[in-house]
Amino acid sequence: MGYFITHFRVVGALLVREMATRFGSKPGGYVWALLDPAAHILLMTVIFQAIARAPALGTSFMLFFATGYIAFQFYQAMTGYLNAAVKANKALLSYPNVAPIDTIVARFVLQMGTTSLVAFIVLGTIVATMRVDTNIHWPSILEAVAMACLFGLGVAMVNCVLFLKYPLYEQIFTIVNRPLFLISGVFFLPDSIPAPYRDLVLINPLVHIIMGFRQGFYPEYRAIGLDMDYLYGIAFLTWFAGMLLFTISRKTLRNE
Amino acid sequence: MIRFEQATKYARTKGIKKPIIEDASLTLNRGKSVGLLGRNGAGKSTLLRLIAGAIKLDSGRIIRRGKISWPLGFQGSFQPTMTGEQNVRFVARIYGVETERLIAYVEDFAELGPFFKAPVGTYSSGMKARLAFGLSMGVNFDYYLVDEITAVGDTNFKKKCQAVFETKLQESDIIMVSHSTGTIRDYCDCGVVLEKGKMTYYENVEDAIRAHNKNMKES
Repeated sequence: MGYFITHFRVVGALLVREMATRFGSKPGGYVWALLDPAAHILLMTVIFQAIARAPALGTSFMLFFATGYIAFQFYQAMTGYLNAAVKANKALLSYPNVAPIDTIVARFVLQMGTTSLVAFIVLGTIVATMRVDTNIHWPSILEAVAMACLFGLGVAMVNCVLFLKYPLYEQIFTIVNRPLFLISGVFFLPDSIPAPYRDLVLINPLVHIIMGFRQGFYPEYRAIGLDMDYLYGIAFLTWFAGMLLFTISRKTLRNE
Repeated sequence: MIRFEQATKYARTKGIKKPIIEDASLTLNRGKSVGLLGRNGAGKSTLLRLIAGAIKLDSGRIIRRGKISWPLGFQGSFQPTMTGEQNVRFVARIYGVETERLIAYVEDFAELGPFFKAPVGTYSSGMKARLAFGLSMGVNFDYYLVDEITAVGDTNFKKKCQAVFETKLQESDIIMVSHSTGTIRDYCDCGVVLEKGKMTYYENVEDAIRAHNKNMKES
């Protein structure tokens, strides 16, 4: 019992520490954590709207792009922040109370909360200012978000260990991760891609996450090729691999 | 009480494997402060981290009865991007100590002035040592693990350390690493000499110092 209380206390302390060091130094504090990505998404949306007028779905280009980008961010912002969770708190690991997993849990909670709030702000603004009524289907949205977070968590836990053991892998991961934004279906629909290439695109689990997420905003969207079983399988497998690798490497995570 | 049971730990750096302790069994009882002696690189600091539980053994186990501090050294367990105050708050939270009381205590003890609210990364090693020392003295432990820390700081600070240590020593014990045999003699009742992966316990600290000096002459 005392064991859980300690973890609980440590995660709480780390949460405060993360918020303080990430945003505490700027005036406005945590508000920036929300405004920064929200402004980024709105700006990107405006730019893409200028390039491509007609959205592949519905009538609002803004809603089309923002749904794709935010679903993507649930994964991307998560791994980007969690990859360094252990490294960034290395000094604090010299307190025997603080376990490497606590740093992961704290950052996970903080990032999931932050991206969710950003999603509410951005999508709420867009939906509220649209002339057409939108039917929102929450189960699809929550399912996609849950899978994005789980998959991101798994990838980040694998990375925490592998970045430490193989610095070369970090370089490779960065290179591979960079074009993900372009191929994950943020501003196109995989449904519209011709047959042999579509199967290739559909290997990427993020494509399924974004398709699932969009189904929550576009009830008429058929999402051809969306395979939730595949997505669940990949997400849980990655998460399991992350937990396993993290657990067997906990000595390395502490010592190095 | 702290008991080692067939404890083994190797230090591995860049493919070089060096024993810190090999199959060591030893019991340290409450009520006695221990001086830890050994040559440079013998693994004294690693041993302290093992006792604290900040790192794990390769095999065997360490049984701990009582609250043990984190290893308290001037390298610090501080997060350099956080201010002194934030670091103190963090420790108060993870050890479940009343935050404001600890902050007041450490602010008064460490005498950092305005630097208390500046990132620890901007501190000198003396300032870090003062913060580390004040912080750990503000939390009640049964064992304090001290790594060379009293060697830092000016005469005034040393006097202050000595005073607070003496009151602490009535209820708590310390396990201390120091290269200065004088400091060990001042604070410790018994000694452990760490040499080539072996821990040897001496009931009398003078015997430990003598054995350590003999080791140093041999090499």
